[in-house]
Amino acid sequence: MIVTPRIMVRIVAIVVAAMLLQLSFFSQVEVLQTSPDILPAVAVSLGLLGGSLAGAVSGFAIGLLLDCLIVEALGASSMVLLSVGYLAGVYRERFDVTNSLVPPLLCMGLTLLAEASFAALQLMLGVDAPISALIVRDMVIKSIFAFFLGVPIYLGIRRALRPALIEDQAVRRSAQPRMMGA
Amino acid sequence: MYRKQVRRRRAVLALLVVSSFALLTATYGQRSGGLQRGVSAVFGPFQEGADRALKPARDLVNWFDQTFEARGQNERLQDEVEQLRSEVAAGKVALSENNQLRKLVGLQRAGELPLGFEPVTGRVIGKSPTVWYSTVTIDHGTSSGVRVNDPVINGDGLVGRITSATRGTAQVTLITDHTSAVSAMALTEDQGIQGVIKPEVGNPDDLILDFIDSNQHVRTSQLVVTAGFKARGLASFYPYGIPIGRVTDATIAEQEASQQVHVRPFADLRNLQFVQVLTK
Repeated sequence: MIVTPRIMVRIVAIVVAAMLLQLSFFSQVEVLQTSPDILPAVAVSLGLLGGSLAGAVSGFAIGLLLDCLIVEALGASSMVLLSVGYLAGVYRERFDVTNSLVPPLLCMGLTLLAEASFAALQLMLGVDAPISALIVRDMVIKSIFAFFLGVPIYLGIRRALRPALIEDQAVRRSAQPRMMGA
Repeated sequence: MYRKQVRRRRAVLALLVVSSFALLTATYGQRSGGLQRGVSAVFGPFQEGADRALKPARDLVNWFDQTFEARGQNERLQDEVEQLRSEVAAGKVALSENNQLRKLVGLQRAGELPLGFEPVTGRVIGKSPTVWYSTVTIDHGTSSGVRVNDPVINGDGLVGRITSATRGTAQVTLITDHTSAVSAMALTEDQGIQGVIKPEVGNPDDLILDFIDSNQHVRTSQLVVTAGFKARGLASFYPYGIPIGRVTDATIAEQEASQQVHVRPFADLRNLQFVQVLTK
């Protein structure tokens, strides 16, 4: 991904829009008694499109903004989401994303990882209350939601960042019609 | 060239990880830093706008979910209605007695709200995405008289308390947050059994009334209200008498072994739309 100031503005807009959508919509709806969490999927999509560095920085920024808005200790969400964005970026750098199922599967797997890491982090920091086994159910259902929401999120972000994507530019160049004799 | 890129990438990653640890160390246990207040103040109007714009879509999704859930709840609710009918009759008698006693001792009729508090009604405009933090953001802040530690209720019962406030928004930490602890009382016919209401993380339909006296036995379906203690300069944030929930599981074995019983909160903490902040 070629990050120009204009693309940077688009990434910031994506992060802010995703945050508002999460806090004002997804966190307040319940399906199967669980609220979907789209933020790991956004970090995964940015990592898949921009590489490990872009994924890590975006994940860190999303986490920091989230912790600021829900007024919790800063750093916990940043650490989890930067790992998720980084891992998605590493996948993109090592393997080709040729199958259309790769983004939703990565969203699902890495959302599960994010939820489990966040739970581990909270347990390490100390939770002063008993913990219900329903936490595990919540994590699994959130990751299933991430699979289904991963497709539109990935495609939407890909569309928004299209001018910066190297592969798309190459495809578009090769798809341009050529005039005979020109 | 490639090595330089890899080194730069690793350096940035290390910097981000170290920054996360540093932030966590510096801000852990503090719920209201300057940065958080600033960001909340900036985002408050946008959150409020997004909340209003997305309400129809949110209601539609919740309607589908609740319709499926309602099928299973129907039978349980019918049993509950029968039980409540008999309780209402008993309650009316008690209310009449209570009114007479109040007149006798010359007390002012308190109404439904605790005395000395002014309610500020707020709309929920944001909610934490993780079960580890049970917090919601409301659209009223210090400009409406909302202060940190003000108790928050809704039509059903206790919801939580204010833990952070900007001019236009405030953060409510729900009673299901793992940092929450409310001094409470299970009401029996002649006395109250004191304890502390704590959550069970991940299950917002179950609270635990902990630290109860193992010599006194709490029974299923007893009402639990805030205890509102005041002693040696220390006072509970919550005034006496706000309903919290009803005891659902109170085995004698559990009470004797771990001094706790299970309570189902009255307030539906999963679907909060409006809350009332009790300001002084």
